[in-house]
Amino acid sequence: MIKKILQFFKLIKSGDWFIIILFCGLIIFSTKFLWNLPQGEYLEIYKRNEILATYSLNQKITKIINGSKGETKINIDNGKVRFSSAPCAKKYCIHQGWINKANQTIICIPNQISISIVGAKRKYDSINY
Amino acid sequence: MTLSTINIINRDHQIAKLSAIAVALSLIEFFLPSPIPGVKPGIANIIILYTIFKFDLRMGIWVSLIRVFVTGILLGTFLSPTFFLSLSGALFSLFSLIIFRNLNSKYFSIISFSLIASLAHIAGQFIIVRFWIIPHNGIFYLLPIFIISAFIFGLVNALVTSKLLQLNSKK
Repeated sequence: MIKKILQFFKLIKSGDWFIIILFCGLIIFSTKFLWNLPQGEYLEIYKRNEILATYSLNQKITKIINGSKGETKINIDNGKVRFSSAPCAKKYCIHQGWINKANQTIICIPNQISISIVGAKRKYDSINY
Repeated sequence: MTLSTINIINRDHQIAKLSAIAVALSLIEFFLPSPIPGVKPGIANIIILYTIFKFDLRMGIWVSLIRVFVTGILLGTFLSPTFFLSLSGALFSLFSLIIFRNLNSKYFSIISFSLIASLAHIAGQFIIVRFWIIPHNGIFYLLPIFIISAFIFGLVNALVTSKLLQLNSKK
């Protein structure tokens, strides 16, 4: 058994090791950069491609959004968000549960509503009139 | 009336046979359940790698494209997003193989080519997904999963192909 595994290692040439190491580097790089999510600050609600509304996550509130099939209820609960009711058939959006990190997203395709959390890095801290 | 004749040479027969095997493998793969949705081993690519190394790159391109089109027609996904995903993956990996075809075979074996092609496959699919199917930056969150699976299955497919080539050269 060990001999057979060693036979496979003999197939790998020096250039292959180079490619394998490059590939591992890419894996480490991508996981580090793409899975490093800070806590979210704001919630953006999209209908198709347009931003319908932006809310702060630091509140406890239920929003009702009209999608293309019907009403979707979105719960915001002090830093986390979920879909609590939706008119779609499979309810994937509800089963996804709570999200709380920046760039996390829940999409409801039948109703064409999606929400995503935005991190603290914004252009402006606040806007006053 | 003149008869138009098509000269069928041995090469065409080879392409047909290899494409048939590749189509059968991708049909088997379609019906196998996958633990992570969207991640597939791509066992049909074993045949394409085998074709490229046993014969030449031109024949590999033929087999790969025939596989994509025939599988699309058989599964009823022809011209649907699924079909374009598999087409762009196939085209990108073929392009990468064309670009890297001059790598010295003294230092680089099938494993390198398979890994490069599998990464290009993921890149091609991701470009289609990002710009057409799900135009949202959130999908980049899934990219590491696909890169890791490309690495694993690229390696496994290459090892299986080199074993196949060894068995075939002994006969």
